[in-house]
Amino acid sequence: MDIELIKKEAESKIESVNSLDSLEELRFKYLGRKGVLAELTGSIPSLPVAQRADVGRQVNALKEGLNKLIETKRASLSGPLARESSRGSAEIDLPGLAQGLGQLHPISQVMDRVCEIFMRMGFTVIEGPEIETEHNNFTGLNIPLEHPSRDAFDTFYLELKAQLLLRSHTSPVQIRAMKKNKPPLAAVVPGRVYRPDATDASHSYMFHQIEGFVVDENIRFSDLKGVLEVFAKAVFGSDIKMRFRPHFFPFTEPSAEVDISCIICKGKGCSVCGRKGWLEILGSGMIHPNVFRNVGYDPKKYTGFAFGMGIERIAMLKYGIDDIRLFFENDLRFLKQF
Amino acid sequence: MKVTYNWLKDFAQLKIAPGRLAEKLTMAGLEVVSLKEIAGDFVFEIEITSNRPDWLSVIGVAREVAAITGAKLKLPRLTSPSLAKAAGLQDFAIEIEDKKDCPLYTAKIIKNVKIAPSPQWLRKRLELVGCRSVNNVVDITNYVLFEYGHPLHAFDLERLRFSSIIIRRGKSQERITTIDAEERIVDRDILVIADKFAPVAVAGVIGGIATQVSNNTRNVLLEAAIFDPLLVRRGRQKLGLQSEAAYRFERGVNPKMLEAASLRATDLILELAAGEYVLSRSCGAIKTKGNSILLDLKEVGRISGANIRTAEIKTTLSNLGFSIRTRAKGKFLVEAPAFRQDVTMTIDLIEELVRIHGYEKIMASLPALKPQPIFGSARDHLGLVKNILVGLGLSEVITHSLVSSQLLSDCGVSTGSTISIKNPLSKEQEILRPTLLPSLARCLAYNLNQKQDYIAIFETAKVFTLSSAGTPQEDLFLGIVLCGEKPLLLTKGLAKEESGPRQLKGIAESLFNRLDIQGHSFINDGIDKAAILLGQEKIGAITALGKEVLLRLDIKNKEVFCLELSLEKILAAMRKERKFNPLPKYPGIERDISIIVKEDAPIREILASVKEIGGEYLAEFKISDSYQGKQIPKGHRSLTLSCLYRLGDRTLTEAEINPVHAQVSAKLKERFGASMR
Repeated sequence: MDIELIKKEAESKIESVNSLDSLEELRFKYLGRKGVLAELTGSIPSLPVAQRADVGRQVNALKEGLNKLIETKRASLSGPLARESSRGSAEIDLPGLAQGLGQLHPISQVMDRVCEIFMRMGFTVIEGPEIETEHNNFTGLNIPLEHPSRDAFDTFYLELKAQLLLRSHTSPVQIRAMKKNKPPLAAVVPGRVYRPDATDASHSYMFHQIEGFVVDENIRFSDLKGVLEVFAKAVFGSDIKMRFRPHFFPFTEPSAEVDISCIICKGKGCSVCGRKGWLEILGSGMIHPNVFRNVGYDPKKYTGFAFGMGIERIAMLKYGIDDIRLFFENDLRFLKQF
Repeated sequence: MKVTYNWLKDFAQLKIAPGRLAEKLTMAGLEVVSLKEIAGDFVFEIEITSNRPDWLSVIGVAREVAAITGAKLKLPRLTSPSLAKAAGLQDFAIEIEDKKDCPLYTAKIIKNVKIAPSPQWLRKRLELVGCRSVNNVVDITNYVLFEYGHPLHAFDLERLRFSSIIIRRGKSQERITTIDAEERIVDRDILVIADKFAPVAVAGVIGGIATQVSNNTRNVLLEAAIFDPLLVRRGRQKLGLQSEAAYRFERGVNPKMLEAASLRATDLILELAAGEYVLSRSCGAIKTKGNSILLDLKEVGRISGANIRTAEIKTTLSNLGFSIRTRAKGKFLVEAPAFRQDVTMTIDLIEELVRIHGYEKIMASLPALKPQPIFGSARDHLGLVKNILVGLGLSEVITHSLVSSQLLSDCGVSTGSTISIKNPLSKEQEILRPTLLPSLARCLAYNLNQKQDYIAIFETAKVFTLSSAGTPQEDLFLGIVLCGEKPLLLTKGLAKEESGPRQLKGIAESLFNRLDIQGHSFINDGIDKAAILLGQEKIGAITALGKEVLLRLDIKNKEVFCLELSLEKILAAMRKERKFNPLPKYPGIERDISIIVKEDAPIREILASVKEIGGEYLAEFKISDSYQGKQIPKGHRSLTLSCLYRLGDRTLTEAEINPVHAQVSAKLKERFGASMR
């Protein structure tokens, strides 16, 4: 028998095999106890003496060669890129099989992201109750109960003997945290807030805010700028521009509203930014000395900054959502996009 | 508030284009929300913050423009027009009931005016700032209000009975018909201007129709006064009114502007409506001094982080109308102008300095944070809870914490110990919800309407209740609702898993296991499908919506299953520190028992029996299968119990285990009538 012929035939068969079972069949055919090679070995004694040693070497070499080839093939068939002929190539075009995941509400996702950015800068996350006192919601924050500065904070009151309300911002948690802890403090406060607003595409009587504040010796307005720049770039991308605009809030002074260059039109002016090229994203400022006095901090010793933003606003800008009501309608077709 | 470019030019020598001016104003804290070119002028709409009433006028804005652009300010020099001698002049009496309510009231009388439409230039300016033209005299009072920021009012003198003005509180059930033709009832909390018999105006808010200047008016009384800001605010709130005058009085008017505004209006009336200025009367006095503040220059840097030079500090303050005297090295005594009653402390001065210096010029820095981590917030672990639920295929929703009483009653929730809202805008905001389930059920109904056929949603939020002592309580809860068939695509094809209480139990168990909550159980307490207990305490329940509830929520041909539990209780019970259990050293022996028992056989007791007999040998056991259907007699259930026998100190032998396992089987047969499969 021609060893070369057997070699060629075996090699080409092993090469073209595409399942482990057929490979095993081939191994059995050539290398099995009664296989082709065993037959060859068995025929050696009948050869002329001069040829025996040579043929024996050739058969051994072939045996080794085929063994190696089969092992290599086996590895390639059972490896991560294994292909099995028993299932057609269409298999992979069918849907994957897994239990579907649900998803977090987009507001939660944005809130988590914002919290995480501040946590990485060293802020702690704290929370407070949604039912609040007038002191924590207003007077403690230097907002007199009867003053035009309160007009921005229309508030739901509770039908109870005690004068309690639903917090109209997350700032009362500043008062709580500062009363309970001594500086240094660096915290963010996420949560639901409530204002009796008529509902439309940009107003909701319940929404989410995140508040942040830092109190220590030597905290300056420049630090407020630095921290908020890190934040805005982390959320909206490092190529945005920012501006800090003087504003008035009763609980901070100096106060600033913070704008970012419009992420839709890149500052050229469009309908989203009202042709201004800027989008207001948050309010901030240096904590007012009166607030420090109200919680028993010495304003001569400590300074601090605070900021607050509406999460719905951030989420709407980030995802390009044009109606705040979508967040509370909870249409699954909406939620599943996030 | 609106001002126009040309009007500003009356008071400041502007060399800056309107667009650039708008930017500068915005960056100085007078946010220009729109700038429009109209009829050859430019209208700036500016958002004036509530601390700066001095900006609520053309002159006020011009003053700021001068300070930030270096333009020269041209304030009008006013001289009083001379009093005309009128024949048969009757004197006029002003009486103030309480000087706290009205520190100063002035009246000027102009006789024989000719009421006519205003000239074009006056009408145009008023229209540009959004004010409707009425007649020359009324327009002049409005014009001066916008220009000087001090509200004025003109009365028809002949309609003021007995030539007198009394500034007093309203009397109970007193009525006045205001110029908007509405009859209004005033009371002790509302300050009015009255003649001898009745109110003729609501002080600082709105005039009365009976005494308004009309085409028949001959003689005019021009009022310029100062009213208590709080009283004006309360009055207009009580009457549900807002007016340009009240807006300014509430925020505080510049006492020094009062006389100037009054004279300016008198001048204009004489010029545009003819007439003779015959009498000036006033009652009361006002403080016109600004506050003095000691400014330590070091404070400027301590707050701002900017290095603002002393020269700049001096220039800025004096441009803004402050006067400065050096007290000691690095210390100034700063006197605020009278129109800056908002400036009372050092920080107010620093704000002005930083604002004019420019926020954009302050270099950003990063604070060296020395945070004190405050743990114990529910949020520490809430993220974990929510992610577990998402991993189990649930979608998070966020619904309103306020609900209508209708929704609660539709869902059969008692409103006995709920908290109501005093001032809801709509029925949807009546009650703080005591449970999450009604909102979730409604959300589910909404999605069914959108043709979703499998819905699995959850929410984590506060619920609100009144304690028996009447104090409000808020607790963090988890609510889940399930409805429909969950499609499970498997290799062997699509299987559909119908929602039911066991899915909710599975979700809760996964959550409890992941959070390492010990001692929880689910029991049938006869009220709910299952009460969820932690130890002996009920912390939640698995329920199904009743037929009537489904009907009221318009959910047809579907069952809805709900779970609600206190996250506060769960998170408190969480074992935060896990401890490692050494892995078993010796192999165990696994044995299954398949039995058929009656459908209502007490599974908890079956498990307890297995545990009892297995004793120390039984390391783990669970129900690994349960089945009803083909091959199982009706009213019965097949259960497979997987038992793992293992000891900690040696290898168990079959010989040891066989009798134990046989005993388990025997006990189940004997006690629960189980037949072996």
